[in-house]
Amino acid sequence: MIELQNFSKRYGDFTAVENLTLRIGPGELFGFIGPNGAGKSTTIRFLVTLLKATSGQGFVAGFSVGRQPMDVRRSIGYMPDAFGVYDGMKVWEFLDFFAAAYQIPHARRRTIINDVMELLDIGGKRDEQVSSLSRGMTQRLCLAKTLVHDPPVLILDEPTSGLDPRARLEIKALLRELRNMGKTILIASHILTELADCCTSIGILERGKLLLHGPIDDVYRRIQSNRRVEIRFVAVQESNNQQRGIAILRRQPGFVDLQIDGPKVTAEIAADEAALATIVDEFAAEGVRFHSFADLDPTLEDVFMLVTKGAVN
Amino acid sequence: MANPVLQRELVANLRSPRAFALQAAFLLLLGALVAMAWPSAPRLTLANPEPARRLVDLFFIGQFLLASLTAPVFAAGALTGEKERKTYELLLASALRPAQIVWGKWAAALLPSVLLIVSTLPIVVLCLPLGGVSLYEVLAAYTALLAALACFSLFSLLCSAHFTRTTAALVTSYFCILPPALVGVALWQLLGEWSSGVRLALFLGVLPALSAGACVLFFVLTSRKLWYPSDIGSEGRDIVDEQQELREAVGLVISRDEFPDRLFAPAKRTDLLPDDANPVLDKELRSELFSQGTLMPRVVIQISLLLAVPLMGACLYLIPIFAPWYLAYVLLFNMLTAPVFTAGSVSGERERRTLDLLLVTTLRPGTILWGKLFSGLRVSSVLTMFLMWPVALACVLVPEYYANLPTFAGMLAVVAVTCIVSSVVSLFCSVSFQKSYVSLTAAYLALGCLYLLPPAADYFARTYLSETPAASAVHTAAAASPFSAVFAFPLEVKNPNDPNPNAPKLIRPADWPLVAGYFAAQAILVLLLLAFIQRTFRNRYDAAGG
Ligand SMILES: Nc1ncnc2c1ncn2[C@@H]1O[C@H](COP(=O)(O)OP(=O)(O)O)[C@@H](O)[C@H]1O
Ligand SMILES: [Mg+2]
Repeated sequence: MIELQNFSKRYGDFTAVENLTLRIGPGELFGFIGPNGAGKSTTIRFLVTLLKATSGQGFVAGFSVGRQPMDVRRSIGYMPDAFGVYDGMKVWEFLDFFAAAYQIPHARRRTIINDVMELLDIGGKRDEQVSSLSRGMTQRLCLAKTLVHDPPVLILDEPTSGLDPRARLEIKALLRELRNMGKTILIASHILTELADCCTSIGILERGKLLLHGPIDDVYRRIQSNRRVEIRFVAVQESNNQQRGIAILRRQPGFVDLQIDGPKVTAEIAADEAALATIVDEFAAEGVRFHSFADLDPTLEDVFMLVTKGAVN
Repeated sequence: MANPVLQRELVANLRSPRAFALQAAFLLLLGALVAMAWPSAPRLTLANPEPARRLVDLFFIGQFLLASLTAPVFAAGALTGEKERKTYELLLASALRPAQIVWGKWAAALLPSVLLIVSTLPIVVLCLPLGGVSLYEVLAAYTALLAALACFSLFSLLCSAHFTRTTAALVTSYFCILPPALVGVALWQLLGEWSSGVRLALFLGVLPALSAGACVLFFVLTSRKLWYPSDIGSEGRDIVDEQQELREAVGLVISRDEFPDRLFAPAKRTDLLPDDANPVLDKELRSELFSQGTLMPRVVIQISLLLAVPLMGACLYLIPIFAPWYLAYVLLFNMLTAPVFTAGSVSGERERRTLDLLLVTTLRPGTILWGKLFSGLRVSSVLTMFLMWPVALACVLVPEYYANLPTFAGMLAVVAVTCIVSSVVSLFCSVSFQKSYVSLTAAYLALGCLYLLPPAADYFARTYLSETPAASAVHTAAAASPFSAVFAFPLEVKNPNDPNPNAPKLIRPADWPLVAGYFAAQAILVLLLLAFIQRTFRNRYDAAGG
């Protein structure tokens, strides 16, 4: 649905984005991750036809960004990272204005406006002035605006910045709902935890270079061949329960490293699922008691730190 | 000097090389004008002080008008600028007392203009040996100039404290300063012919005292506005409630759903936009143009009508041959209002960060631009045409005018063309500049150069350089200005002071080449600017925000 081929953007001598190639399939929720100034907004502004590329091409819903900007605009809903609202307009007027701007006929507009207001739960604010809304409500209103022309692709630049945790959760729930409705979503963020639990694929951008991209599980697997297991041993006074457990861990063939933090032991082991089961069996055979054995999922932070460290070197 | 606000402003304003360049350019220009107008045989003119007198008067009036025009530019943005940059809260929350803030802002806004004016003193003193003007008169003129400047600046600062947007503050100050400035010029001229003693007393004593009183009042009002201002905070901004505002309004009110107000301020929407509407045009007219409340348009309309009444009486009825002067007033009004409604239209969207939202819709750039142009044009031309009603009425009531109807039709055409040109120039500025404030100032500057400079230069050349090739070249250039154009139509009326029915008529000769040149020049200008706007906007829109 979204495709970038060798996209580069230079501002004078400064290269904001370099040779970015990316493909996002239909129905995906793509997390575009990178620190501030990485070039996320630059890439997005190119995709939504607001910026000319220095070189390279882009396609959205099969239309060329450079040659068919009007078709691209019809296919995307765009929410900028910083935006304002018009003065002297009520919420319904604001939505009506954008619906009309997308040439939606009068006859269909009323239903559409009611639908998006219901979807975003802003029906109660229908007759309020847009400039009096709170930050969270303005964000919702802008999201509602991106939906009025029912675009197959949504491009959201830092949609949760400046929101309180509750509003963040609500926006995330909305994103999942939109994905269930079959929309392809690109969402840029520099807050990793925020994307970890809702994206289907991610791309990591730093200093204008795309370091890594793909389905989220794939990325995890590629990044981390070793498993991390966390074991909490039962603290038994007389027997050296924990020491015996650690000894078992150390003699595993794939053992790499180990950290002890009180009763909690975290081990890095190159092992598959069967090998993990063997460890549990050995604990049982030697009477080592533990009350928790967890195969830790890598976090997005881990991935990010690993990837960007690689880029520095 | 221990005022941090003042210090910061001075560092920002005066250290720039631009400030020095501007000042130098201004002095050079003044010097050149005086040199050109210098009587060629000064010994002979000692007996006849008239030319020297005129020169000094021209000098004072020019400076006075310039000072009244520049004072608001520096002061009107002083507080609204902080509001727009969202630093207002920081400033107010600092340990500074409101009076200190006001004092610092005032002094900072005043200083550049004061420096400019004081630095012209040597040029005037050079003119003294020509005779006709006494040192006391120079002193009076400068005292009045500085007093007026102080008063106008502080009033602009008050507007700046009251409004949220610089543009509204700037426009309101212009319209409130205009009447006293015109009265000041008229008094100086009339009293000079009548009694210079009275003039001295007035300008050295009464005027500075009045101005000091006004300054104290404005200072207190401005400081008071800084306590618990309602227009700060990031969320839940103060919403202007039009009903409430109308109840508290003094004088005229604007009722959106009644004729003639709905011509320029149509009612808010209660239903969805119709299919064939231009959404941008509709949005501008119904929601945006008066979203800051109706105080600014009310000030504009009331003051313009207030000034129109005596002018109409004098120019259209008492002295019918002066009809073009009334038209000049209408043109001046249009020049001041058109930028208000158009110069912020594109830059405002950029400032409020709504331009991106608008540009990613499937509206064509042309649709957006026409919507912006027509909405502003409609408001400013309706307001301008209100002032043309007295002319229509005079055409019916004054029999002298029956034979001159084609002339009035021509003048109407000039006013209509001016409405279009002013709006197009303003839109051009709005597309070209990032900040509305800059765009508005640029629009005033451009219109001033286009409309006022050619007739001023023409007058100067006719008075001091007559019969030279330069004078005729300058006269040709006057075709750029509607002010020259309205005076170029023929007018033939009876002399009202002569009871003899067969007395020779008073005649303004026609200058058809100038009229034709005017229409041709404006048509070319509008087409060029529109092409430019379309292109610039396309470029900007390809690289929006760039
Ligand atoms: N118009 C511009 N001119 C010059 N540099 C720019 C411009 N816009 C963005 N940049 C630079 O490009 C880089 C990428 O910016 P951006 O795409 O906004 O980053 P992100 O959205 O990832 O935080 C930044 O270093 C920024 O300073
Ligand atoms: Mg960004």
